Amino acid sequence: MAGDRLAGLVHAPVTPFTRAGRVDFEVYGRLIEFHLRHGADALALPMHAGESVSLTETERRALIEHAVKQVRGRVPVVVHVSDAGTGIAAAHARHAEAVGAAAIVATTPYYWTPPPAMVLEHFAQIAAAVKIPFLVHNAPEEMAGTRITAELALRLMERAANFAGVVDSSLDWQFMIELVDTARGTRPTFRLLSGVEYLVSAGAIGAKGALSSLAALAPTAVRRLHGLCAEDQLFEARGVQEEIAALLQLLKGSGAAGLKAALHALGRDCGDVRPPLRPLGEVERGALVERLEAFAMLRAEPRGW
Amino acid sequence: MTIKLRGVMQSPVTPLKSDFSPDLPTFERLLDFHVRSGSPAISWPHHKGESLNLTIAERKRLAEAAVKVVAKRVPVTIHVSALAVEDTMELARHAQEIGADGILAITPYFWKPSREAIFDYFVRICTSIDLPVISYNSPSYLAGVEITGELMSRLIERLPNFVGVKEASFNSEKFIELSRVALKLRPTFAMLTGVEYLLPSVPLGGVGSYSAAGSICPNLCNSLFDACVAGDWPRARELQYKLSRLWLLFRDQYPSSLKGGMVIMGRPVGPTRAPLPTATPERQAFIRAQLEALGILDSEPHGW
Repeated sequence: MAGDRLAGLVHAPVTPFTRAGRVDFEVYGRLIEFHLRHGADALALPMHAGESVSLTETERRALIEHAVKQVRGRVPVVVHVSDAGTGIAAAHARHAEAVGAAAIVATTPYYWTPPPAMVLEHFAQIAAAVKIPFLVHNAPEEMAGTRITAELALRLMERAANFAGVVDSSLDWQFMIELVDTARGTRPTFRLLSGVEYLVSAGAIGAKGALSSLAALAPTAVRRLHGLCAEDQLFEARGVQEEIAALLQLLKGSGAAGLKAALHALGRDCGDVRPPLRPLGEVERGALVERLEAFAMLRAEPRGW
Repeated sequence: MTIKLRGVMQSPVTPLKSDFSPDLPTFERLLDFHVRSGSPAISWPHHKGESLNLTIAERKRLAEAAVKVVAKRVPVTIHVSALAVEDTMELARHAQEIGADGILAITPYFWKPSREAIFDYFVRICTSIDLPVISYNSPSYLAGVEITGELMSRLIERLPNFVGVKEASFNSEKFIELSRVALKLRPTFAMLTGVEYLLPSVPLGGVGSYSAAGSICPNLCNSLFDACVAGDWPRARELQYKLSRLWLLFRDQYPSSLKGGMVIMGRPVGPTRAPLPTATPERQAFIRAQLEALGILDSEPHGW
């Protein structure tokens, strides 16, 4: 997989569940087709928005195999391999490569809040398990403050030839600028991708792509925002960025549950979230739908599949 | 009651004599340097000006000097934040008395005030004077205390002289939460950032920044702003990366290292008050090597 194939808009699908709480493979297939028809340059799955940590080992592998088969090489599939244990994450990585993933992505280890040396070792071992490109996901807010630094990224480059880029959800300008500036001297193909749909600042700094879970809901707007940023039309991107920011704020408190409720409202029912997440209650759901209807931007988005 | 806030606005450090007392003649020379080297406004004393290590009497005396030396060539705003809110109120009144063009105030220090307490605080400041007030948001230095979009909209609706924010979270989400709310309610509202983080903020409606490195490299600061407003992003990137390297150099023991760098540039301003250290000769030599490597010694003014 050429490095520049990672440089586009990467959709991160949710994981549909049946009423009985099983992975709904039929709907998943439909969802993947929806993403491919609506602007995905690649897919990343199952990310946290896809409730990766709530899947069993068996389910996770079945889901990935199903997705790769469904996609049939039309776009690259980036597989999320994060885990608490380094050996377990490395095993996820090997499985992903064996079944045809184009790249893997991993966060810092769950729970341990490890110091930088442990984070480096964790990533180095995951990277060494495969030959395909490896992306690191920097998500300090989700990972109890554990973060990647530019220095750590540089040291990982020395250890891992396949360390291809960072997906950033820290939204931290100081980090992103330092990373892009220092990485380019060492590894010119290195990529910064946005992990949340705040693309204007990241694009100005030099991000070359984005992971988007919101694309399930508003694929047209996300595509437009990504396209403008990719062409350095940053002033022009401000309007759609502000609308997307407002949508992100609306969904912020409720996470995957809110996203699934919103998808249901737009006619793309992917079921409910799994415990320990709780689906929105009737009142919350009603309030969310009402506020979604007030978004002019969503009127231009596809309804149903 | 209007004030033009645009471009990279300089906030001078506070020159000290070897006995750590304020060095007034050097302060006046530094103010003049900033105005002559193109700063569109002056703001003093920011944290980099060791505001919290100065007595209230010293702050008043130097604020008077700043207004007098700048002499309306560019607007002067006074940073009035102090540990005691009563001191902040006093400094705000004083700023108005001496003819400053506006004030800057951060959310209260230390106490982790609630959102309502922050609201009351800004209402109290803004209604006590007629000057334009710029708020200052710095959640990473203040244990998460911040101005949210919702709070910002209430402050703008309530206060005609609430004219801008120094948004120093350096975070895409936080900046846009304030900018999209503020600019809708008050299109003239000045979205400013700290250090010189113009590249990620100007495309979102930012109109300028304060400055960390302006006493070292005013030309670089002004060129970055010009590139951003012109939408020349490839050039803006290179300039921002360079300024970011300077920030990484100075962020360590800020502003001691900045004062150390000013020695190299021929503009010595003396030591730094404790608990901040003063840059040692070894540190200065390190800074010189970095400035040389970045080409600053050749492209920026030397001496006063």
